[in-house]
Amino acid sequence: MKINLDAEVLSDNNAAAEFNRNLFKENKTLVINLMSSPGAGKTTLLEKTIAALGKDYTIGVIEGDLATEKDAERIRALGAKAVQINTHGGCHLDARMIAKVLPELDLGEIDILFIENVGNLVCPSGYDLGQNHKVAILSVPEGNDKIPKYPVMFRRTELVVLNKIDLLPYVEFDLEMAAEDLKGINPESRLIPLSARTGEGMDEWLKWVKDAYQNLQEQ
Amino acid sequence: MHEMALMGDILRLVEEDARSRNLRQIKQIELIVGDLSNAMPDALEMAFDVFKARGLGMLSENARLVIHREEARAKCVVCGCEYTPGHRLSICPDCSMPGGKIIAGETFKVQSYEGS
Ligand SMILES: Nc1nc2c(ncn2[C@@H]2O[C@H](COP(=O)(O)OP(=O)(O)OP(=O)(O)O)[C@@H](O)[C@H]2O)c(=O)[nH]1
Ligand SMILES: [Mg+2]
Ligand SMILES: [Zn+2]
Repeated sequence: MKINLDAEVLSDNNAAAEFNRNLFKENKTLVINLMSSPGAGKTTLLEKTIAALGKDYTIGVIEGDLATEKDAERIRALGAKAVQINTHGGCHLDARMIAKVLPELDLGEIDILFIENVGNLVCPSGYDLGQNHKVAILSVPEGNDKIPKYPVMFRRTELVVLNKIDLLPYVEFDLEMAAEDLKGINPESRLIPLSARTGEGMDEWLKWVKDAYQNLQEQ
Repeated sequence: MHEMALMGDILRLVEEDARSRNLRQIKQIELIVGDLSNAMPDALEMAFDVFKARGLGMLSENARLVIHREEARAKCVVCGCEYTPGHRLSICPDCSMPGGKIIAGETFKVQSYEGS
């Protein structure tokens, strides 16, 4: 007997994402899903962001890694609340994993929740976590060809943080080409070049986060 | 790796439906996999074989996975032409404007299954 199921493969994930989204909305928590290759600087950017915004906003972080608590410990060292998810080989976070750890966070207290996804430019973009914004981080040493090589990631994110611009004098990276490629893949996406190390360009990123928070509160 | 997780989701969907109909065995599953869906057909087939070999679920011994590819297509909102997107997906090959919207290729669905 043949049954026409016509079901989205990710329907379970999407249902869990909806559950998360409702919780985030009830609590007016701004949720940002950060995705990048391993080592692009997600945790460093979060450390600098917490240092800059931690006085004015209560920040929480969900850290996704294959193994270890290392990234969560780096965040806790700055006084922010961090929950670690270990995926044990899983290459991305899914909405169910997020739903499972939400009880450990007091969303009523948290203004901005960052989710640091597992370092991987492919799979994480396919999973809705219930976030308000998806952000990709690309770093200068990875080369500007990553944008056309991973079009799905860059189509599904609304902002690309180009990190490690302090390395531009030392490595080949065509910033103009990167901007053109991004426009060609996703004309609505923004590009913010910065260095989490030197702080150059950080203001624009911080302003983007603050504006996103403001917009959410006014909704 | 990833496709193992996806196949787990696929089998869960199918088996849940099959149980609700009192079916015991799955003989075939048909998927629609878009070129822009990030799921790799080869890896899905491998994952399917792994699950089948484990023999834990409802897949019959000679169960088949049929994958229908959905080609990526885009439509330019400026000039209205339809095209197969290249690596700058949203650039229209006709009018060169970045106005292309993806209209096909993102699907990732279980279309049907055969059970008994
Ligand atoms: N030169 C330079 N190095 C940076 C910058 N930001 C981060 N790094 C370095 O890049 C390396 C990786 O940074 P992380 O912040 O751990 O990167 P990540 O994306 O969190 O890595 P995973 O969680 O392992 O995927 C560290 O050695 C950082 O010190 C930057 O702006 N410039
Ligand atoms: Mg990290
Ligand atoms: Zn994955």
